[in-house]
Amino acid sequence: MLLANNLQFKRQGLTIFENINVAANPGKIILIKGNNGSGKTTLLKTLLNILEPAEGDVFWFGKNIKTDIFKFYINTCYIMDKPTSNRDMSILENIYFWKKFSKSTISDQEIIRILNVLNLQNYAKQKIKFLSLGEIKKLELSRIIIEQKKLWILDEPFSNLDSNSIDIISKTFIDHSKNGGSVVFASHYNPNIHNEIISLDK
Amino acid sequence: MINFFSKIIIYFYREYKTSMIGLNDLFVNLVFFFLSIFIFIFSIGSDKEILEITGIGIIWSLLLLSSTLSLKKYYDSDFNSGNLIMMHMNGFSYELIALIKVVSNFIFVQIPFLISIPIACLFVNIVFQKIILMLISFIIGSLILSCLGSISASMNLLNKKNYSLGSIIVMVLSIPVIIFSVGIINNEESFLSLIKILFGILFIFIAITPWFSAICIRLAIQNN
Repeated sequence: MLLANNLQFKRQGLTIFENINVAANPGKIILIKGNNGSGKTTLLKTLLNILEPAEGDVFWFGKNIKTDIFKFYINTCYIMDKPTSNRDMSILENIYFWKKFSKSTISDQEIIRILNVLNLQNYAKQKIKFLSLGEIKKLELSRIIIEQKKLWILDEPFSNLDSNSIDIISKTFIDHSKNGGSVVFASHYNPNIHNEIISLDK
Repeated sequence: MINFFSKIIIYFYREYKTSMIGLNDLFVNLVFFFLSIFIFIFSIGSDKEILEITGIGIIWSLLLLSSTLSLKKYYDSDFNSGNLIMMHMNGFSYELIALIKVVSNFIFVQIPFLISIPIACLFVNIVFQKIILMLISFIIGSLILSCLGSISASMNLLNKKNYSLGSIIVMVLSIPVIIFSVGIINNEESFLSLIKILFGILFIFIAITPWFSAICIRLAIQNN
């Protein structure tokens, strides 16, 4: 499980957030909410040790993540608020890159099923640069299934998605939590699937 | 360990795919290189002796300028798309990412120049024996240029306002590379001692580039 104690982050002397505690036990879905600039993305990056907190520590199953950061990363899937897929590669090429890179054991049939569920099957060989923002977002989100990690950390997972896709992603979060996984996501949209809300509004 | 190496190979494959898609950029770099040689020939004149004396210096200077053209592609797109973070989260330290980028820059940017050097040498009337020396010096020199490119491109992540600063850094730091690389070709009798110096410079840059670039990448991510 992920545990963060008393996190504080400062940028150029300005406190972005302080006294933040996060406990993402298995089965938990945590929504981080807040106004623009309240530090949602910063908090997620701090939880991932991408950004260094001014105070506080993050633990993964009782051990400070800094002691073996890659052991923590092996169990973590992070979906950023911007597309990380290669724009000049097709959907399938990107998916197979992630699959091989994360050493996922997911089968080809399952990949096809994911594409069907996300309604991307017709664009499988299409280059990313020709896709709409919503389609790119769905492709990014497919990584949470492909990479098969315990902890999902997502930044604005519902942006640019239609209502049908929001439902699919919400159900996926619930299924993951039921299977003992944890989800921490920052979003302006509240799909009401969370067990806990962390508000960054002052 | 096998998993780790296979990840590196997969990453190289992605770099290969990206550079194959960006083949036109590479082609533009080569066109820039050859056009610049022609401009020098037109401005100096077609005197064979003058061309033979100045040719090596011209080619080396233009190789340096041409390699700075692709500096923007080094880290910028991976940084902006968050791929550097993704690579890091998939088990690659920033130092290793920098090292992989240096090798991929050498393979996908510098090697095409290596192939074009013999043709360029013919234009400036360089004899066959010197072409071989030129190729040897370029293999070592281009690796140094790749390291320099990594340093300046990673520094550019911290300073997005003034991109030419990176090119200036490359040019200043590459002065010793040019001196010794041209020296190898012009002073065949001191070939061994000069090539040892060039190898020395290469090993220094291979040693410092990953750490220096990783610090810059880390700082850029912190400041982003």
